[in-house]
This record gives sequence, C-alpha cells and structure tokens, in this order.
Amino acid sequence: MKTTTGKPFFLWRHLNKLRWLSLSLVFAMLVFLPYAHVYQTYVAAHAYDLLADSEKEIYDVMESLTEPFVSDPEKDLDAVKGNTWSGTLFGFKMSDPLAVAGQVAASKRVYLPFLLTALVPLLATLLLGRFYCGWICPATFLYELNSNLAAWLHRAGLKTGNRRFDRRLKYLVLGAGLLLSMLTGSVMVATIYPPAIIGREIYYAVALGGFGAGAVFFVGTLLFDLLVARRGFCRYLCPGGALYSLLGRYRLVRIQRVVEQCNDCAKCNAICEFGLDPLRDGFGQECNNCTACIAICPTDALTFRLQLHDQPDQGPGHLGRQYQREKAAGEQDRRTPAGEEQP
Amino acid sequence: MKRRAFLKTGISMALLGQVLLVPEAGRAAAQKPSLRFLRPPGALPEDDFLSRCIHCGQCGEACPNRCIQYFADENGLASADTPYIVPREKACILCMKCGDVCPTGAIQKVRYELDDILAKVKMGHALIDKQLCLSWQGKSCGVCYRACKLPDVAIRVGYMEQPEILDGCVGCGLCERSCIQIPQAIKVIPRSS
Repeated sequence: MKTTTGKPFFLWRHLNKLRWLSLSLVFAMLVFLPYAHVYQTYVAAHAYDLLADSEKEIYDVMESLTEPFVSDPEKDLDAVKGNTWSGTLFGFKMSDPLAVAGQVAASKRVYLPFLLTALVPLLATLLLGRFYCGWICPATFLYELNSNLAAWLHRAGLKTGNRRFDRRLKYLVLGAGLLLSMLTGSVMVATIYPPAIIGREIYYAVALGGFGAGAVFFVGTLLFDLLVARRGFCRYLCPGGALYSLLGRYRLVRIQRVVEQCNDCAKCNAICEFGLDPLRDGFGQECNNCTACIAICPTDALTFRLQLHDQPDQGPGHLGRQYQREKAAGEQDRRTPAGEEQP
Repeated sequence: MKRRAFLKTGISMALLGQVLLVPEAGRAAAQKPSLRFLRPPGALPEDDFLSRCIHCGQCGEACPNRCIQYFADENGLASADTPYIVPREKACILCMKCGDVCPTGAIQKVRYELDDILAKVKMGHALIDKQLCLSWQGKSCGVCYRACKLPDVAIRVGYMEQPEILDGCVGCGLCERSCIQIPQAIKVIPRSS
C-alpha cells in the first residue's frame, strides 16, 4: 500500500494532554455529583442551622460552586445525574452499551427506550473504536495513575508485574458475564465492570457513608495490575473492553504508522498501555486511540488515518538502521526493494 | 497447544463462575423473614425488576429524602447494588423522582398524581397490630394518619383516632416510620412476600 509522506497534523501530538483533561474531568464529575446530591438534600431539608459542622462545610462549598449556575439547587441540580455506566445529561439519557447487553441477557427481551440511550456511545464506538477505554472510563484514570506508580516502583528497584496473558481471555469474561446475567436474571456484568463499580462506590462513599464490596474488588484489580500484569485488567479481563473491541473492529478512525518517518526506536511499544505493537503496525481491534504513542514518537511517525483496516506490516522504518543497511545491500546488488521511495 | 491452553482456562473459569453464583440464590434470600425491605415506588414485580435494573444507582442519587439504600450481598448476589428502602429507618415520600431518572424502566415513570400513583405504585401494604397500637388500646394517637400522604385513600381513622388501612395503601412506609410505639404498631408488608 502506498502512503503519503509528510508530518502529521501538529495538534495530534497534544491530544494526549486533552485525553488526560477528559479523564480528569469525568472523574471529577463522578466525585462532584454525589456531593451535589447531598447538597440538594440539605437544601430540601431547610435546616442549615441544624447541620453538623462537616455538613455545613459541604453545604457552603457546594453552594459557592453551584450558585453561579443554578437558581433553585433542589430542582436545577437534577439536570446532571448518574455516572458513566448510565447517566442523565440535561434530560438526555446515555448508557453504556454493556449495560444494554447485560440487560438484554438478563431479561431476555429488548426494552427499546433503554436501547436508545446507548445509541450515541454505540455509534461513537463504531466510529472511534475503543475510545471509551482511553478517554472517558473513570477506571482508566486510576489504572493509568497505577501504571505510573508501577513505573516509579520499578525505577526504585522494586519488582512489578509484567506478565502477559492471552488477550482473548476478556471475550470469555464478557461471555461468562452475559451468561451469568442470563442465568441469575440480574445484570451481573455490572458487578465485575470497574467503571460501573467506581461510579457506584464513589456515590456510596459520599452519600451513604462508606465504600461497599465493589471497592474491594476494584482494589484487587489495582493490585493485579501492579503485581501481576501491567494494565492487566483492561488488557485481559475487562468485559466492557471486550465489547468495545468487538464493536470497534472496523472503526473508521485509526492511528497508523508512517513508515517513511519511523526510526524503529520502539518508544511507542514501550508506552502503549495495552501492550500493542505500533512499531510493526500491530494495532488491531484493541487500540483505544489514546494517542500516547503519537505523543511520545520523536519523529512524528504516527498519525490518524480514516480507513477500515490496519495497514499490513510495513517492515522496518525508513529512518532506522536496519532499513538503511538493507537498502545499501540492495543497491550493491543493483536491485531496488519493492515499494521503496526516496526516504 | 496455545489454543488448547486457552480453552482450558476458559472452561475452568466458566465452571468457577457457576459454582460461585448459584442462580435463584438471590430470590431465595428474598424470602427470609428477617429481611423486610421495599423496592422504590413504581418498581416492577421483583423478578422483572431484577432483570431490568442495571445497578447504576441513579434512583438513589435522585431521591431528595435519601431513603433509597443499596444492597451489598445480604439479599443474595443477584440483588447486590440494587435499591431498597427500609421504611422504619427512612420511608419513601412518594415524590416519584426515581422513576423519572431510571433509564431502564425497572422503576416505572409515575406521574405525581393520585390516579397514576394508585395505578402503578405497589410497594407493599400496611398492617396494623391492634395489640400494640395506642389508639386501639385507648390512648388516642393518630400519628400514622397524620403522616400518610394519601389520607382517607390509604388510611382512615375513626373513634379515638383508631386507624384502619384501606385498599388505596401503596406501601410507602411513612406510617411505619412515624409510629411512636416501639416496636412499631404499623408495618408495611412488602409486595414481594
């Protein structure tokens, strides 16, 4: 396949920062909303003077935060509710496609109004692939911080887990989760899906007085990532990741390598949280378009392309030593390598 | 070889899941007499409710009275993280906001009108213990009647404020919450049992 040369659009290098902004905002939202709810109930109770000091503090902070935007907090703050598993945004309801899949499995019938709430995320996933995992998921926010922690521990000389398993395991987890939902008649995938757990648990901790069992499960996945396999849960076990990977298999927007610019430094492979192989065009359905590889590439050799399939392996990068050696050898034999142009 | 290892892990994991989560366990636990709870107003019958609810927690987040709580595993794993109300701790005020926010229809949308509430809300039915009730024992009280959101539809008082439950009771639990007797002389019997 012939590719165009030229540097990728310069802003794409900065998308990774935008991604972190997005992750932080979503997480901040998940912390803010339960407090907003608690504040609403305090307002509804009409008894500011009777609140405990800690409650007054919450009341005052939330009042100053929301005052510019709402006139009647008791009603107006209802505009935004919920979490990334399922939420209400100014009257528009959005849900995780996995929630719909789980519900269809549990009740064995399709409930159309709920199906429609997953439409926007579904279309976005068909277009952008597993972007939810990299850009929105509140668990990713904590998992990536956890990866950074692992890197620091590694630098300090401690041993962190770096085992690899079969990526296809997560499809099995997805299947098992849906099967269990079907057998128990309850949406069991919600109890093993970290973003759903985090949304709930933050609410429990803020409004109901403490973390629940899901928090223990989540800490377990953090330890698994730290001690057994880097980003192990997302890579090998996450049922939602599995569903998004399947939906995003023929995504339109893909990160691809510009072979003419690549110098085979392999930094992209090292930074890739999902353990993919950008260096040899191994993106596949797992890539979540997180753009970490674009941000770290020293020669601007990674860019976005609109195509339904990955490029096949393009071989060594044209700025790398291996390619130069092969080319020199080729010129000695008075032969030109196939598909080659001036680097 | 690789495929075989993959299949092996898969099958063993599926078996493990089967052992850990026996189907129907949740519903069996729901019959326990010690665990008397209500589902939020407008909730579908228990089995339909469980199969619809996605455990998102929005009903609790919408509840202005903070009466909606969430199960851990007391009621079986099938109803983990599903909403419930214990009326003696905090009863439902029938504001119907949870139904508005529920994305899946596990809690139906109910208009804030008497007809719609009577038609769709079936949390349970109150039951009076006349041995414990102050009014029935000759000390006129009537607190349950004053607490009820549907007076003379759900509950009526007669001579000496003696309460009687009518067919219109939807089981919100405000009477149980307000009863000044210990233990309470009026209790909501959940629909599911």
